[in-house]
Order: sequence, then C-alpha cells, then structure tokens
Amino acid sequence: MMVRSLLLGIVGVLFAQSAIADGDLNTTVIAEFRSYPNSNAGTIDRGQSLELNVDAYQDFGTSRGVLELVARIDDQDSGRRILEARQAYITTEIGGVEIYIGNRQEFWGKAESINIVDVVNQEDAAADQGGAGKLGAPSVSIERYANYGDLQFWYMPNFRELTFNDADAHPSGELPVKAARYQRSLGRNADDFAFRFSTVVNDWDLAGSLFYGTARKPILSVVDMGTALQPYYAEQRSVGLEAQYTGDATLLKWESLHGKQDGKDFFAAVAGLEYTLYGVLDQVWDLGLIAEAQYDERPQVAAERFYVAGLRLTLNDAKDSSLLLLTSQDEAKDQSLISFDASQRINSWSSIDVGAKFFDAKTPSSVFGFLDDDDTISVKLNMFF
Amino acid sequence: MRLFIATSIAILSSCLLNSSHALADKGLKIAMEVIERDQGWGDSSSKMTMVLKDKYGQSTQRSLRNSSLEGSSQGDKSLVIFDTPGDVRGTAFLSHTKKTDSDDQWLYLPALKRVKRIASSNKAGPFMGSEFSFEDIASQEIEKYTYKYLREEKYNGVDCFVVQYDPVDRKSGYSVQETWIDKSKYIVLKTEYYDRKKSLLKTLTFDGYKKYKGKFWRADTFLMVNHQTGKETELQYENWIFGKGLSEKDFNKNMLKRVK
Repeated sequence: MMVRSLLLGIVGVLFAQSAIADGDLNTTVIAEFRSYPNSNAGTIDRGQSLELNVDAYQDFGTSRGVLELVARIDDQDSGRRILEARQAYITTEIGGVEIYIGNRQEFWGKAESINIVDVVNQEDAAADQGGAGKLGAPSVSIERYANYGDLQFWYMPNFRELTFNDADAHPSGELPVKAARYQRSLGRNADDFAFRFSTVVNDWDLAGSLFYGTARKPILSVVDMGTALQPYYAEQRSVGLEAQYTGDATLLKWESLHGKQDGKDFFAAVAGLEYTLYGVLDQVWDLGLIAEAQYDERPQVAAERFYVAGLRLTLNDAKDSSLLLLTSQDEAKDQSLISFDASQRINSWSSIDVGAKFFDAKTPSSVFGFLDDDDTISVKLNMFF
Repeated sequence: MRLFIATSIAILSSCLLNSSHALADKGLKIAMEVIERDQGWGDSSSKMTMVLKDKYGQSTQRSLRNSSLEGSSQGDKSLVIFDTPGDVRGTAFLSHTKKTDSDDQWLYLPALKRVKRIASSNKAGPFMGSEFSFEDIASQEIEKYTYKYLREEKYNGVDCFVVQYDPVDRKSGYSVQETWIDKSKYIVLKTEYYDRKKSLLKTLTFDGYKKYKGKFWRADTFLMVNHQTGKETELQYENWIFGKGLSEKDFNKNMLKRVK
C-alpha cells in the first residue's frame, strides 16, 4: 500500500514538472570468444556470445528515468543467455531525500579481490563478468546526501537467484542445478532490508551497513545420489564495515561482515594493501602492487583463508592500456587461482579485453578441484555506439 | 682592510638577500593579483575537446564536460565527465583541491557503479594519456608555489611579467615553471615547465581569451607541447557557463553515481 501511494506521488511529480530536460541513449555491443583449454570430456571446449547493452536516461525536471537493458545470446551455454533490466527505475527528490523505485544496481565495498559487504545485488555469475555482471535489484530505496555523509535505506521485496552455467559449460560442477530451497518460508517473496551510512573523514572513506534478508550466495549441495546440485538460500543478518585509507601512494582497505547465517554466527573480513609505483622504468607507466587477505567462516567459500597478491600495470598511453594479474591461494596451499586481464582501446568506438583464469587444486574433492577443468581464456571485443 | 672586506661582504649579502626577497615579494604579488582578479566566479561549466597528437602527427580525440565550484576556505572543487571515446563513456573524475595538502580525488566507474578514491600523489602522471599531468589541470592555489619575479618581456606583442613558480610539493614533476602574465589583464599567456633535471619539458600556451560576466577571462584553446617526446595535446573549450547555481552537494563523492 505504501509503495502504491509512493508510486502515485512520484508519477504526479513527473507530470507536474513537464519541462523537457536532458536525455540520452547509448548502446554497446560485446562479442566474446571463450576457450576452455582443460575441459573434461563431455563438456564444451569453447563458446561465443554476443551481448547488447542499452543505456538510456531521461530527465523530467528534478526527476529522472533510467534504463539499462542487457540482452545476451550464447551458442553453447543457456546459462549465459539473458534478457535483463539491470537498471529500470525512476527517481525524484522530495525534501532533500532521493527516492528510487525499480531495478537498481549498487556497489558497496573497498577491496579489489572480493567485496563481501556488497549485498544489494545478486551476481549474474554465469556471465563471468566480475563486479560488472549483476542482476538488477527490484527495490524501493531512499538516499540522503548531507554534509556529514550519505544515508541509504533499501527495501527489496523480490529475491533474485544466482545464475548458473549449464552442466556441460564452464564454470560448473558438471551437474544439473535443481530448484532452490529457501530457509525463509516466503522464499523468493520474503522481504530484504539494507541500510548504509558512508562518509569521508580526511584521508579515510568509511561506511557501516546493516542487512536483513536472504543471503545472496547459496550453499550448494550434491543431491539425488550425486546426480544434481541444489542451492540453499539461508537467512542472513549482518553488520558490514568498510574503510579505506588513502595515503600518498598507499591505499589500505578493510571490509568485514559479522552476523548470523542459517542460524549460525559468522565472521568474514578482507584486509588489503595497494601500493603504486609511479613512472616505473623511466616511462609514464604506473605499477600497483596489491596484497589482500580473505577470511570467511561461511560454508559458501572454497576455503576459510585465501591470500591474494597482484600487479596492476597502467601504461597511461593514448590507448589506455592496462593489465591486472592476480594470484590467489588458500592457507593450506591446496587451491589456487591465477587470473589475468588486459585491456586496450582500439579506436574511438571500440576496445578489446583479453582475460584468462586458471584454477588448480591438489585435492580433487575441493571446490577448486571441481573447477579444475574450468580454466578459461576469453577475448572480448567491445563496440560503443 | 679586513674590516672593510667583512663589511662589504655583509652589505653585499644583505643586498642580495634583500633583492631576492624583493623579487620573491614582487612575484608573489603578481601571482596573487592573477588569482584575486579572478575571484567571485562562483561556479562554471564548459565542454572540452581534447586532441592528442603523437610525434608523427597522428591524432586522437576525446570529449568531456567540466564543472567547477569556487572554494573559499579550501581550494576549488571540480568534476570531469567523459563522453568519448566509447570505452570511457560515463566515467567521472572528481577532485577536491586542497590549498597545501594533497588533493582528494575520486573516480566513478560506470560499469561497476563504483566510486573509487584514488591516491593523489600521482600529480606528475598524465591525465587521460595526454601531455597534461594531474597537477596541470588542478586548480591553481597560491600556497602551492613559491614565487620569483624574473623580468618584463613582450610575448606576442603583449607586455608581460615573467614570474617563476616553484612548486612546494616535492612530488611535483617540475623543478620550476616560468609564466608569462599579461601586465594589464593579469592573465597567463604562456607557461614553460622544467623537469626535475632542470631541462625544458613542456610549453603551454593559451589562446582565444574571452571575458565572461564582464570580469572573468577564459581561454578557449590550451596547447601543451612536450619538447622531449614531440607529442602535443590541445584542449578546446566551448560553452562556458557561469553562475548555474551549483553547490557543494553537486561535488559530493556520492553524487558521482548520479552523473550522466
């Protein structure tokens, strides 16, 4: 009922301010070629996909409508096929408070290797696009920007499930995924709530958040005598903390999440350091050295502790060439992941990304043991219109 | 005789000291006058085309939008939004200039919807792969340099003061800058940048000055030539608008995600 009257109010505001203002529409086409050099027999060894992104907005006085559509086709993997309104919302300002209604994409966090406090959106994991691959969160949210900081409150009435690749695609457990189970009796229709306060104090960017709802990452179990995977979405209540110190060339980062999931207390944290060397090798190149430690007590992770080391090379040239190399290893030195991403502009309307991921595990029954055949090399051609 | 020499040395050195004081004082006064005459602009916005040329004359372009808010107790705040090339479309760069401290800088990455605080010690590094460094595009605050008046000289037929700007911050990419300032209008017509080894690195020339709001002079072309690499970058400004009514809120880091 409240939502309904809010909606009517906003529509009223939109019509009252009929002065035509800014608007814009852009499209992006991404052609992706993927190769899986270690694929097991019976799984695909390559795939191609084509993705269309449409980004548009239209202002009406102090109100705005935003639309970001993603349509992706894939020749092998139905898990990667999607038609998604990543963002489709209207927003207006009433008395210094911004109100948003519709699908939104939001980012919370500070770290590089993982963002455990980033709880608003579900991940479009099948797309394997990192932080950019999210599903829009259907929501009513309000934000207030003040001198002391930014306050956000989110109400999310519909849960979005994680996307999975086909059993014969990558990455996957090579098993079909059954319908999910939920801890909360209302399942996908249970309400989620989130709140965040963020502020800047000199060299520190700080934030604190609260979440009550359904955990975004499911706990996966093998069911039906080993013939299928079933996701289980647990209830989560948590408190998130974020901090980044920005020094001259040093960034210190912290994210932590403390709370209860599936009735059990848990703690998770990421601590990180990024140090940048400017003008390396007598060039205008910048070299960033990244070190992060991950700790997570929840059953969704591959191991409780992971250590990450990485290099980020930025050439600062006219083509904005950059390269990121990350290695990740669990404490037992059993599971490891090496990832590589390079990107370069081709011309004013196109760019190319080359990426690779290699999983390794000594214990075949570990999570990375299952992912061992999911090594991926991808080439993406991005075209902007 | 010894006394005479000692006295002469004392007098001579005090003269030198005085005159170097006087030169510093005159330089500072001119630099302050440049800033003083430009005070009260409040807020401004403009469109900019950046043309990068390599030493073979090959050129690439990018277009962006600028807006700035004049600071009082602190330095100015500025926001840059990129429109082209396509791969950086929607990326935004926010800077809060500090008078003496390092500036606060944030970058907005539209694909991730992520606002990222970035380290600002990279002042000598290139901005968007151009011949302009971050410190060249940052707002000029009087506290960021010490000054020395050098001479008077004509530049392009205009009577100019030539003043040396010596960056206070050791992380600056420059040992000194020499600046040609129009004697009557107190606007900068040319700056020569000397690298840390004291050799001439770049020359920036300003062209097409126009007066806005009856008071504020803005050039529509900035040309930066790098003498050591043969590359150059030209900034072409248009659509200057003053007094749009922008406020602190428009330069809040959390507003970056609303930028279109």
